[in-house]
Formats: sequence, C-alpha cells, structure tokens
Amino acid sequence: MTTSYWLTNVRLETGYIQDEKGVYETKTELFHLKIQDGEIVEKQPQSFSIPSGENTVDGKCSLAIPAFKEMHNHLDKTYLSLDWKSPIPAKNLKDRLRMEAMELEELAPTTKQRASAMIDLLLSRGSTHIRTHVNIDPYIGLKNLEGVKSALEDYSDKLTYEIVAFPQHGLLTENVIPLMKEAMRSGAQLVGGLDPAGIDRNIEKSLYEVMNLATEFDADIDIHLHDRGNVGFYTVDKLAEMVDAAKWHNRVAVSHAFSLGEVTVPQQEEIAAKMSKLGMSIMSTIPITSTLPPIELLDQNGVHVYLGCDGFYDSWGPYGTGDVLEKVTRYSELYRKSDERSLAQTLKYATGGPTPLTKDGEVAWPLAGDKANLVLVNASRSAETVARTPEREAVIFNGKVVFGKL
Amino acid sequence: MKIFWLTNVRLEKGFIYEKDRIVATETEICHLKIEGDKITEITNEIPNTIANKYDAHGQLLLPSLRDMHIHIDKTYYGGPWKACTPLTNGIFTRLEEEKELLPKLLPTAQERAEKMIELLIKNGHTHIRTHCNVDPVIGLKNLEVTVNALKKYEDVLTYEIVAFPQHGLLKSDSVQLIRDAMKNGATLVGGVDPATVDRNIEKSLNTIFDIAVENNKGVDIHLHDPNTLGAFTFERMAYYTKESGLKGRATISHGIALGDLDGVELNEITAILKEQEMDVTTTVPINRATIPIPTLDKQGIRVSVGHDSITDHWSPFGTGNTIQKLGVLAERFRLSDEYSLTTALKYGTGGVTPLNEKGERVWPKIGDDATMMLVKATCSAEAVARRATVEALFFKGKKVESKLEDTDLVRV
Repeated sequence: MTTSYWLTNVRLETGYIQDEKGVYETKTELFHLKIQDGEIVEKQPQSFSIPSGENTVDGKCSLAIPAFKEMHNHLDKTYLSLDWKSPIPAKNLKDRLRMEAMELEELAPTTKQRASAMIDLLLSRGSTHIRTHVNIDPYIGLKNLEGVKSALEDYSDKLTYEIVAFPQHGLLTENVIPLMKEAMRSGAQLVGGLDPAGIDRNIEKSLYEVMNLATEFDADIDIHLHDRGNVGFYTVDKLAEMVDAAKWHNRVAVSHAFSLGEVTVPQQEEIAAKMSKLGMSIMSTIPITSTLPPIELLDQNGVHVYLGCDGFYDSWGPYGTGDVLEKVTRYSELYRKSDERSLAQTLKYATGGPTPLTKDGEVAWPLAGDKANLVLVNASRSAETVARTPEREAVIFNGKVVFGKL
Repeated sequence: MKIFWLTNVRLEKGFIYEKDRIVATETEICHLKIEGDKITEITNEIPNTIANKYDAHGQLLLPSLRDMHIHIDKTYYGGPWKACTPLTNGIFTRLEEEKELLPKLLPTAQERAEKMIELLIKNGHTHIRTHCNVDPVIGLKNLEVTVNALKKYEDVLTYEIVAFPQHGLLKSDSVQLIRDAMKNGATLVGGVDPATVDRNIEKSLNTIFDIAVENNKGVDIHLHDPNTLGAFTFERMAYYTKESGLKGRATISHGIALGDLDGVELNEITAILKEQEMDVTTTVPINRATIPIPTLDKQGIRVSVGHDSITDHWSPFGTGNTIQKLGVLAERFRLSDEYSLTTALKYGTGGVTPLNEKGERVWPKIGDDATMMLVKATCSAEAVARRATVEALFFKGKKVESKLEDTDLVRV
C-alpha cells in the first residue's frame, strides 16, 4: 500500500434526529476518507468523484468508529497458544500468588510466543493501543519483561503500547525495588503497584516508593488496587495527596478500584473532584463478580475512565475474549443503557475518549487531521455497535490495515 | 434407513486427577456409526466401510443445546437496528408500547422468528421453548406466526410454545384467549407476576392451572416479583401444581426472588419446589442479583438457561449464543476449575454432560439419539470458558443446515 489512498464507502454518523415522540435516532451517510501518512486528510461525501489515478480501498459500507484502547492487560501471563489448562482453585490471594510463583519458571520460555498470541487476539478485536502490566518479582526477575517487550516491538507498526512494571508479589518484599529500577531502565515505561494495604501492609511506604520510582524515572503510574471498602478509599485518597505534592498531574491511574464503589456518594464525589483536578484516571475491567467503581459519577466529574480485558486464559481466570467493545456492551447492560444516545456515548470507554458524535449530535470524529486509527464494523451506527458487539471487518492503524481484509 | 459414520470425533473419556483433585479431562478419538436417528456404534477402530463418512477432524462432540426461554414472536432481530426508548413507567412503558408495536411488527413477524431460529441452530440449539404473546392487542396472530415458523424447522429441532398473557391474564382479560391458544398450537400455559400485574395471586394462579388441567398441559410462569412476594408466589404455585397433579410439569421463569433469599428461607422454598419437581429457567442476568444457580442445582432444582430476548423493545442486548451464556454463568459464580467448568454445560443441555461426577462417560451411549454438536475445543471446560464455536449440529442423525438463502442479517 502506498502512503496515500481513499478509503471509500464507509458509513459515518452525521447527527441525531428526533421522531415525533422525541426519541433519538442516529443519522448516517456514506463517505470517502483520504488517508495519507497515517492521517485522515480529507473527508468527502459518497457523491464526490475521486480523482482518477488515486488509490482506493473499498470500505463496503461498513461503519467506521475510532480504534480501541486496551488499557489493562497482562500479556506475560496468558496460556494462549499453549494447550488448554484450567486454573487451580486458590484459597486466597496469598495462595494464588504462591501458585503463580511456582508456575512462572515453567511459562518463562514461551513468554514472547504467548504474548504475541494475545496481541493478535486484541488486535483482531480492534485495539490498536495496549497497556500491559508485566510481572517484576523475585521469581521471574526481568524475564517476562524481555519476552513481552520483544513481542510488542514486533508489532510496533501495528499498534502503540505501554509497559507497566508490575510488582505482582509486592513492592516492599525482598529485592523488588532494585528490580523495579532495573525494569525501568530496561524498557518498562510506567511504574506499577499493588494493594498497598492488602499486599505491602504499609500503605504510606508502598505509595511513597511508587511515587519515588516515578519521579526518579520521570514515569507515569498505574496501581492495581483491589483493597476493598474504606481501606481502598483511603489508599486512593492518600495517593491523590502524594500526586498533588509531587505535581504528578495527568500521570497517574488506579486500576480496578472496586473500593470507590463501596463508599458513600459524598465520598465518591469528593474523591472524584480530587482525581479530576489531578488528572488521575481509572482503569476497569468491568467484572461481574465484584463492585464496580462508580464509572458514571467519575466520568461526569471529569475523571477519565478506561477499560481493559485484564489477564485471561491464565492461572487467575479461564474466561475472557480480548474484546474491549464487549466490555462496553457489558457495561451498558449492567447499567441499563439501552436507548440510542446512551448506548452511543458509552463507546468512548472503548476508544479512550472519542465518539463519532457528541451528546448533542455534533460530528466529533473523524475530522480531517485525525489519526487514521479506526475499526470497520458490521453495524449501522455506534448504538448498535455497543449493544450488539458486531464482527470487526477490518482494523486500521496509522492508515494501514492491520487486521481483516479490504 | 440412512447410515453414515461420523469419524475422528473427540469424546471425553474421564477426568485426570492430581492428589484427588481433577486437573484435566482425558479425551479420545472415536468413530460413531449413525443409523437413522440413533448412534448405533462407538469405536476406536477406523471403520472399513463404503458407507458415507463425515470427518469431524478431532473436534469435540457435545450434546446439543436447548434455549428454554425465548420470545421468537417479538423481536427486532433480522430487521433494522432499533434502540429501546427511555423507560418512564417501568414494565408498563413497554406494555403500552406493545399496543402500537405488535401490529406494526406482524407483517414481518414470521420472517423475524425464522431468522431467530436460524441464529439458534447456528449456535447449536435443537430445542426451543418460546413464550408467545397472547393478548387483546394481537390475539392469536403471533401464535399463528410462531407455529408456522417452528413447523418449518420441525425436522431439525423440537419445540414448546407457551401461551403467554404478556399484558396480564386477568388484567387484560385474556383468559378466553389463552384457552383458545391452547387449542391452536400452544403446548404450555404461561403467566406473568400474579401479584404485580394481575393484582390477585390466587385467582391468577388458579386460572392458569385450571386451563393447564383442562388441556392436560404444563405451565411456565414469568415471576419477577422480588423477595417475600416472589417466594410467597412460588409457594402458592407449588400448591396449585400439587392440587392439579402437575408434578414435574411446572416451570418458574426468571424467579428473581430466588436471588433475594438466603439460608433457611432459601432452603425452605427449594424443598417445596423440589417436592413438586418444579424447574427454573434463567437468563443469568448480570444487572441484578442473579439467582443462586449452583446452589439450586445442588438442592435438586433443575435450572436451564434461555436468552429471552436477542434484541427487542425490552432490551437491545442478547446473542443467542448459549455457550457464551454458560461462560457468563461460570464467570458469575466463579466456576473456574476444570470440574466446575465441565459441569456448567448441563445448564444448557437439559442436564446432559458427557462425564458424570465420577468421570465416567454417560454420553454418548449406543442407542442415544444422534442429536449433538461438534465444537472447536478439546474438552467441555475449555468449550465453556473460551466460548467454543459450534462447527456442526446434528438432529436425530441429520446434519442441520440453514434454510435461509441469505443469512447476512445485520448490514442495513
């Protein structure tokens, strides 16, 4: 493919209309998009005649939507590409970690192969950005990081990625801090953390060390927080205090954060205001077995919420799909978003922000100058896409078809 | 009689143990002789025969699936996308909508119903229990559509049709209509929330069971009423089941209240249901407290899953994919080890699983109906957890094929 071509006959949303009863419907039309050097440089209606001699690729009337961001995965843990294996039941988190430690060595030789299989799966479902956590622990050292990094490098023309150094077995144990430092020098881009109360048993020190690593390496932060109830809430609150002190605005995320769904609404509003001011974000995997952080309240208060599939097909859990769009479908079902606009607007959790239309029906995507990162789906509009989780016909990254055929 | 061999089929053979714990499933490659509608031979030897062969290429053979609660007469599926309208008055918003919507959908209702059946067979189902609206708006017209659609597929599946007074048996004065429906193809008497909708628990149940007895049919009642109200209704339903001699023929659909009960209260109600061999169907909803499926199963209550809706004016969500639903069920109840995942299959197959709890093969057996599916997985546990795709479906020895010429449904 040359650097310039027209992606023809793609369906784009152009606005909302209301019927006589006030019910919203989405208007769509077919367009041709000119793609050059990884950008959408021109958007023309279907009636436009493409100058002869210019390359065309037929979008076959598929709906175009912004590409997805998978914001919480563990590429190093999956069993994908190996034979089927079900998880062994664990009595508690400690037991689970003990079993993982025993297995890490066995899985290490295939890290790159397994990670690549997961990347292929994520890509085929429309994610062109992956944030992955990678174990940095006393058992595996930096071996998983090497495998994951090598796999991601092979895909660097198909997606963007971020690697979080993740102290799965605790940050404050043994020699993990030096290992984390080495990881940050060896390709990890973000500093991770895990349950400052539940695992590290020292909330302040754990958070302090995370912040310390972040400032030392000028890195963003993404902490796993499963700690429930008020201890989890205090942890986020304390983290916010440190983020403020370090002026680490727009650089800190909390993953899972079940606890924020377990405190009172005034507490939720208070923490949302703080997080919003500090540009902190939340990563959720939309579990159906746990409390969710109050996604809608956080969103309305200006906290960015992103979704991910978490690790799956691994020693922790046998189910999963690698489909961020399906997470949005699940979120919508959970919160009974079933009218046209509510469905359409939740698409933003898959794309990391952009939706084709704003709430008021203004065209917000794609506009000339936007990155040519998009997914073509077999659906008529965003609302249907969210409700029905349709097939992905093609995934385009930087103007290049990275999954599917056109 | 038609004879063929289904070769290179993967069958589950037993569990593999490590220190008393089931860690994996052992499988073997077999060849099955199908004569007429039965499996007549299962062997490890490649058959030396001139009979027709169908190569399964090592795919896993499982019992086919049953959708035990769906509404094929009332769907947007197969037509253009339509979102739901915002709810203003709960369930009554939807009932009000039906007054306009049902007549509007009628001209294309059979086509939509057939497309829904197609989706279900594509996903491995050979049995459908559908609830069909019988109400003053649409009379018996949806029933006619449902009967016609299902008759077209009676060579590839079995079915049951519940005469469903969606607008309230008493509330909408539909008693005579339901009686008429039972003479025109309905095979079960339905009902909906005797308390909230009909405002007369006793009269509503009494009437339902009267009609069932008159027609010698079973009953299947939608019960959404919560906690003690739901539990009381279950208890009264059990009473009428007993009085009517319908033991083993009464189903509770949804049974939301079962998710509100716990401990002694739950045990008391399940004992009552068990005595009358009442069963429960559920969609495994994720947006409310789910009924405790594994607990009910342990206490001897049969639980079956159904899709309810694929996409309609009640809900835009739904897939028609029971293997996926079983995966959600497993996830919801944290069934994640090999054995738990394996047993999850039974909620979609009417209780049939290839292995029993001791790990002995109980399906398929010589003499069984050749009603089964091939899936892309190496064992039941993997099929459930990773949502295996259905590669082929057989009903009584016959390979099930689409009857539609054009199955591209979504593109508008």
